[in-house]
Amino acid sequence: MSAPAALLQVRGLTAQFNRGDVASQVVKGISFDIGVGESVGFVGESGCGKSVTARALMRLAPEGSSVAWGGTVLFKGQDLLQVNERVMQDIRGRRIAMVFQDPMSSLNPVLTVGAQIEDIVRRHTGASASQARQRSVELLDLVGIRDAARRADDYPHQFSGGMRQRVLIAIAVSCQPDLLIADEPTTALDVTVQAQILRLLMRLRRELGMALMLITHDFGVIAGMVDRVHVMLDGSIVETGSVDALFANPQQAYTQALLAAVPRLDMAERLV
Amino acid sequence: MRRLVLIRLAWMLPILLGVSVVAFVLMRALPGDFAQASAGTTELAPEALNIIRRDLGLDQPVWEQYLRWLAQLLKGDFGDSFTTHKPVLGELLPRLAVTAELTLMAGLMAMALGASSGLASARLRGRTDWLVRGVNGLFLAVPNFVVATLIVLLAGLYFPEVGIFNYTPFLTDPLGNLGSLLLPAFSLALAVSVTISENTRAAVLEVSSQDFVMVARAKGLRPHTILWQYLVRNALTPVITVTGLQLASLLGGSILIETIFTIPGMGQYLFDSVSSRNYPVVQAIVLVAASIVLFVNVLVDVAYARVDARVSYE
Amino acid sequence: MNERQPLGGGNAMISVGLLMLACLVAITLFGTLIAPYNPSATGADSLAGPSAAHWLGTDSIGRDLLSRLIVGGRTTLLITFVAVTLAVCGGLALGLFCGYVGGLADQVVMRILDVVFAFPVFLLAIAVVAALGPSVPNLILTIAIVYTPRLARVVRGPVLSVKRWDHVEAARSVGVSEFNIATRHVLPLIVSPVLVETSLTLAQTIFTVTALSFLGLGPPPPDPNWGAMLSEARQFMELAPLAVIGPATAIVFATLTFIVLANGLRERLDVASR
Repeated sequence: MSAPAALLQVRGLTAQFNRGDVASQVVKGISFDIGVGESVGFVGESGCGKSVTARALMRLAPEGSSVAWGGTVLFKGQDLLQVNERVMQDIRGRRIAMVFQDPMSSLNPVLTVGAQIEDIVRRHTGASASQARQRSVELLDLVGIRDAARRADDYPHQFSGGMRQRVLIAIAVSCQPDLLIADEPTTALDVTVQAQILRLLMRLRRELGMALMLITHDFGVIAGMVDRVHVMLDGSIVETGSVDALFANPQQAYTQALLAAVPRLDMAERLV
Repeated sequence: MRRLVLIRLAWMLPILLGVSVVAFVLMRALPGDFAQASAGTTELAPEALNIIRRDLGLDQPVWEQYLRWLAQLLKGDFGDSFTTHKPVLGELLPRLAVTAELTLMAGLMAMALGASSGLASARLRGRTDWLVRGVNGLFLAVPNFVVATLIVLLAGLYFPEVGIFNYTPFLTDPLGNLGSLLLPAFSLALAVSVTISENTRAAVLEVSSQDFVMVARAKGLRPHTILWQYLVRNALTPVITVTGLQLASLLGGSILIETIFTIPGMGQYLFDSVSSRNYPVVQAIVLVAASIVLFVNVLVDVAYARVDARVSYE
Repeated sequence: MNERQPLGGGNAMISVGLLMLACLVAITLFGTLIAPYNPSATGADSLAGPSAAHWLGTDSIGRDLLSRLIVGGRTTLLITFVAVTLAVCGGLALGLFCGYVGGLADQVVMRILDVVFAFPVFLLAIAVVAALGPSVPNLILTIAIVYTPRLARVVRGPVLSVKRWDHVEAARSVGVSEFNIATRHVLPLIVSPVLVETSLTLAQTIFTVTALSFLGLGPPPPDPNWGAMLSEARQFMELAPLAVIGPATAIVFATLTFIVLANGLRERLDVASR
């Protein structure tokens, strides 16, 4: 089985935050590839740099801090760290899209959810208002929101957390990006909803042929979702492998610790 | 939502009542003779004064006087002016309209000035931020009547042909009316614009750090779309409510501005009446002003609650 | 949200503010001694421009403007300081009472204060002065009345919230005296907001005093004061612009002092309490 064509090639990525006089290296030179249609997981505890890595791919510095990116991020031949901002704005949402962690605060409270899908659709496809409207209803339906036509005119506060995350996923896949980055997409959701959202992501990935970069601190979320996993610790990738290989035979102590943190049905000893 | 409005309006009533009591007491419980004051500068014989006292009901117990006064008030009778002996309400309303126009203009100017400087300060940071905040600090230190006087001085020294004291009523000449109110409104607006500027800046900074702004950037939206649809639309509500709350200081300031620029508004009316001990007028103005401020405050509260319902998360 | 002001900013502002305050206090205490002439002396030529004898020139009846400015400052500032001191005392007493006692008494007092809050400050001041008659004591009283509620509100807030804190309840249950609780827990919380609010009130009082005097409701002549000087000067302002600029600058200087102090205190104390 030949390796899929490389969609994304990251080499030596670094990220340095500057707050006042203090500079801290959050990502310390990591390299990885993501092929067309591949799904890759990034696992690690809070602060290991996985979210910053994702932001680096879209060149999104948090408001109020200054970040210095280093290394190369080759996306379909272009180094995303070198292109100018206008080109980057064309890529964001269109070629690479992201789903964030907290659905409760990720939607604009003063716009209807329909409007928030329409604005990205019109931005990247030049669709007319009515075409965009149609598309937004289709998308809401696609992500499993019932009565989509009516719900498109509702405001975010009229939706539950799980529903809002579906809306955010609809926004992210609206322009059929080549790569979808999901940064802790289920962490802020109830357990019952988590599985639904993960299944939704898998289905969309299959139907739209997107590559998926799934970021989480929970190994349990990764299982069954990704082909390959990178384990991150303190700004570096410490272990890489297929999910099965890692589960069966973790090399690094840290990976073992992460795996041990996931409760399993076949555990020999009882916890209580 | 409706319940909230009703509750807030209900709270207004006892406060309005209290306001009326204060207005009443203020004028009646003063040293000197109310009856004499009603006659102005003419010295009256004691018998004449007694007749006036009976007419005005001053020989009755205080609380009875208050109730009588309150009853008349609710019928729209604010009493008669001591100087012109005409109903106060009739004299007050046109002047109220003038002050309302001045205050509205000042409010809009303050919002325009303040919101744009605050927005620039928040978005551009660095030197612009320091400049705006420094200038704000300076403007805040210059009282509105000082601004007005300095404007009059400058105009007198360098632009003697430009008439500043030429207020024209709106119905006579709308454009001239607006022009004649420009400088007065500006004097009023300056200090208020500082508060609005600071609040806009804080609101924009706050909104900028919200997740949905990051999401907007991740969507690849153009910066101006993010600025107007995501930042400004969310930052605007606190700004508008702050402006509403500044109404009290705008009304207070209008007294001074009207006096300086000889504008026939409620403020000047108040001042003249205070000077001539025209107590029914002073009472009426105090009442009307306090009621307007109260009402606007309630409006602002309600408006904020409405937006907050959309914004607050469970 | 992450906007960083160097800590030095707050300290620098406080230093500058204190320096300016020192000038104001000096004028208040020693004004009559510093002034070169008697402010009511009408000896010189009227409306003379600045000269070696009269640094700021003279007004329409030949009085030295600089002397009038200094002594006027003394009057204006004296009223301001005394009035605000009264307001702070009243506000502290009222706020502590409401915060500590709580319950019905608190609610009733707050409703009464709401009535006072309903009036635009300046309007209320005019009404009270109109009722009582313009004089220095009445002016002081008016301002104290108008600003006490605002200070009371600032004091009441922290007191109310501290009462509910768990560790205060714990201390009380262990037997720590109310007095100790008051001094160790409540007082430190009040100090910062009261200091800031006092500075702001001082700035606003300068406005109120000078504005009232501007309208003729201030200390009656012959006491000079900044507001009245500004108003008088309007009649001959093109002939003697300094008669306007002098009081204007003085008013701005005084107001700026308290604003700078308030901002500096806010920076300093907010950072410390984080």
